[in-house]
Amino acid sequence: MRSLARQKMLRLSCQQASRLLSQQQDEPLPFGKRVRLRLHLMYCDACTNVSRQFDTLRLAMLKWRDRD
Amino acid sequence: MASSASSATPNIEIEFALLAEHRIYLMRIARMELRDEHAAEDCVSDVLTQAYERRAAFRGDSSLRTWLTSILKNRVIDLLRKQWREQPIEETPSGEQDFDDLFDETGHYAQMPSHVRDPAELCQEEGFLSAVQRCIDRLPKRIGQVFVLREVLGTDTRELCKDLGLTTSNVWVQLYRARMMLRTCLEKTGFGNAQPG
Repeated sequence: MRSLARQKMLRLSCQQASRLLSQQQDEPLPFGKRVRLRLHLMYCDACTNVSRQFDTLRLAMLKWRDRD
Repeated sequence: MASSASSATPNIEIEFALLAEHRIYLMRIARMELRDEHAAEDCVSDVLTQAYERRAAFRGDSSLRTWLTSILKNRVIDLLRKQWREQPIEETPSGEQDFDDLFDETGHYAQMPSHVRDPAELCQEEGFLSAVQRCIDRLPKRIGQVFVLREVLGTDTRELCKDLGLTTSNVWVQLYRARMMLRTCLEKTGFGNAQPG
């Protein structure tokens, strides 16, 4: 029981994970958050896709800036 | 008389011409950042003038374009600081409840976000880059401005806080909103993957 509650507390929702994915684009996450995010991404395809979308946005902005 | 003057003049002209070659590039960024054609023109004129006046400081260990971009960045920050001081931002809530409608009651995505097969390839496509630009132009003004400062002008969060008087959590919320709004906007065309096949 206790471990289940603990697991729930540690587990990120996609909403929380997405905030961390964005934050991670701007600076390194503190250790605990980084671990929880990595665990979340291991089983969550949705946030894995969002992570890739954020990376794509960053790349797109650089390409947009330097085109021509 | 004329010959002694002309020995100095050509150099100066070449230098200004060299700077001015980057005008279109600078204008594109300034337009996206300031969202006002006249303000962008004034800003870029200032940047070129400043660059010309300080041309001795350009050491050539970065490209001319990189150097001009850093001058543009500082100029934009000055302008925005003034603008934002006159119209202070309303106290932004933590953003905890942002985008609630994208998530189900357990906090998971209600709809599967699109998988981007090949980001590098996608970002080569003119059509995708134009779609990104359109989505950025549709962002709420200040959110778009912070995002462009961050991603196009390479301003880090520390600079955003220090130079624009924003708090760290405020910067994170603004950038999070920008990214989530942009991904939602780009989902409308399946993030460039809408075509079957």
